Amino acid sequence: MAVKIRLRRMGQKKAPFYRIIVADSRSPRDGRFIEEIGTYDPNTNPSTVRVNEELAKKWLSNGAQPTEVVSRLFKVAGIEK
Amino acid sequence: MEKIYQQTLLYDFYGELLTEHQRKVYEDAVYNDLSLGEIAQEYGISRQGVHDLIKRCDRILQDYESKLQLVRKFMEAKEKIGEIMELTRDGESAPEGESQGVKSRCGESHDENPPCEKSGRERMDRIRKIAEELLQEW
Repeated sequence: MAVKIRLRRMGQKKAPFYRIIVADSRSPRDGRFIEEIGTYDPNTNPSTVRVNEELAKKWLSNGAQPTEVVSRLFKVAGIEK
Repeated sequence: MEKIYQQTLLYDFYGELLTEHQRKVYEDAVYNDLSLGEIAQEYGISRQGVHDLIKRCDRILQDYESKLQLVRKFMEAKEKIGEIMELTRDGESAPEGESQGVKSRCGESHDENPPCEKSGRERMDRIRKIAEELLQEW
């Protein structure tokens, strides 16, 4: 079962922020997710990335695939596999 | 700035000008961060098709922006409004003649001309000037 780490858009119109979530890739659109492991807020300057490092590492080592943008955010937050 | 943020902003402003199908696919890509493969599967079209569609939407939205500049104006307005909020906050925490608490905060500011050094009068003038700039932009 493929598990992905991706962003999900939240926030108001014209002021988006994103949750970093862990979700099953087979049900990408139904809104369910397994766990929220952080947030990315681009409205602040510079943007704010908050990640629960422990959870992120746990999911990465269990083979969860981060999307491209999530990989970049992890790098910013100093999280390596 | 992350591309997904730029795309989300453009979509928030001009998304309704896309077709129903374009909107669905674009939302999957920028609101839900789905991969091309996942979107392709969802709609029964090829990855290449999804890729082209998203690229086309990017271009369409960017084209509206280059003509209407709503996102740029919005971001500038947001910054100016933030400045006004900042100036009024300083006003609240430090009424005129009572600048003790303000001075200590001035030391932390890297701004060359921190708003906290301004008197109430100067602050009002600054706010008025920003408000005028805001009005002119529109």
